[in-house]
Amino acid sequence: MSEHIVKSYDEQLELINSNLIIMGGLVESQIKNSIKALEDKDTSFAEEIISDDNKIDELEKDINELAYKIIAMRQPLANDLRTVISALSIANDLERMGDHATNIAKRVADVKVNLPDAPTLEIVRMGEDAQKMIKDVLDAFVQRSDKLAMNAWHYDVNIDDTYIGIYRDLLKIMSDDPDSVAGCSHLLSIAKNIERLGDYAQNIAEDIHFIITGSALEKK
Amino acid sequence: MNETKIITNNVNVYYGEKQALHNVSMNMQANEVTALIGPSGCGKSTFIRCLNRMNDVIDTCKVEGTITIDGYDIYSKETSVEKLRERVGMVFQKPNPFPKSIYENVAYGPKIHGIANNKNELDEIVENSLKQAAIFDEVKDRLHEPGTALSGGQQQRLCIARAISVNPDIILMDEPCSALDPIATARIEELMEELKKDYTIVIVTHSMQQAARVSTKTGFFHMGNLVEVDKTEVIFSNPSNKKTQDYITGRFG
Repeated sequence: MSEHIVKSYDEQLELINSNLIIMGGLVESQIKNSIKALEDKDTSFAEEIISDDNKIDELEKDINELAYKIIAMRQPLANDLRTVISALSIANDLERMGDHATNIAKRVADVKVNLPDAPTLEIVRMGEDAQKMIKDVLDAFVQRSDKLAMNAWHYDVNIDDTYIGIYRDLLKIMSDDPDSVAGCSHLLSIAKNIERLGDYAQNIAEDIHFIITGSALEKK
Repeated sequence: MNETKIITNNVNVYYGEKQALHNVSMNMQANEVTALIGPSGCGKSTFIRCLNRMNDVIDTCKVEGTITIDGYDIYSKETSVEKLRERVGMVFQKPNPFPKSIYENVAYGPKIHGIANNKNELDEIVENSLKQAAIFDEVKDRLHEPGTALSGGQQQRLCIARAISVNPDIILMDEPCSALDPIATARIEELMEELKKDYTIVIVTHSMQQAARVSTKTGFFHMGNLVEVDKTEVIFSNPSNKKTQDYITGRFG
């Protein structure tokens, strides 16, 4: 992208961009770690994840402040305006994704006992799927690639399908064995957390589409 | 969309050997504000000056192509330039009241064009014009003081009153606020909102925000070409031409 006549404007826009990339990277690793903690039933690792969430919250705050500052002081237009407005929305979505990763980590202690293996493994696999989608979305942001963003957007349906499958399996296990209800309901919540991660990644893909094309995504 | 008031078709303008405008074709609608933006020397002022044949006074200036107002070719031999300027008023960058009283500034046009039949009618025209220009309340007790004694913003509104006193259809404004402070600018912009109910307004402005605030349609000029013209909100949120985007976002001047 060609540069602004005013260099400090470019610097501010670049700072917002790099903060979003850092934030995205943090969210990615929080999600990866939370799935790992779940897989290993590692509660001390989960504690670490929970306490790291504030780094993401801080970055969101920084991005919001910078975006408000740019709007107030530069009156951005056209692609610059779309970038700044979308930065607010992407930062908000990333922050929510961070919360979902934290929620997963918080449940690690609860699922330590007597969990059915099959759905746990399926959830871990679903988590890996979500990570792939999130990675693609973040790559699309870095490369400003509408094609990558749209691929990721379409991928969400797979995660939704997996969620429905896990939901059914867990329901069956619970009705067959009432003692499993406590553990399974935690697993159900974790699956829901992951399913929501896909939805937020989809939002970000829509924002990228908006930044690049200037129009909102027509959902089919 | 409102009825089309002004149509320019393949307008080329030359100053001697130098071509200042290249095939500019653009429509301007009645009861709308059309903004023309672009870097210095892009041709936007040259273009607006074609609309009331202000360029006629420059000997070396040659205008090609057609410009019609309400379907009439304003460059045809039958067109009277005086009548044209009665219909197409103009307000300039620097407020330029005559060195006369506030009253005389506004009364001058109706007098020379023979619009008022008697003193009472003239008084009425002056009062109404000053009211329409949103300055009457500020000057009603000193109508016989010099127009030049007013503040810059008041002088500009006086010039607008002078422009509308001959009951034009169109008001051309060439950077009308560039010499004014933000409050005086806001008053002129508010006034434009009111005036467009009765007039067709074409404004040249260097302030992107002003174009965004006041206009329905914006045209972007660059190096004598009309690069893009579209609804103002489209120009400023999602222009289709990269040059337009680079200009409005401050990437080249």
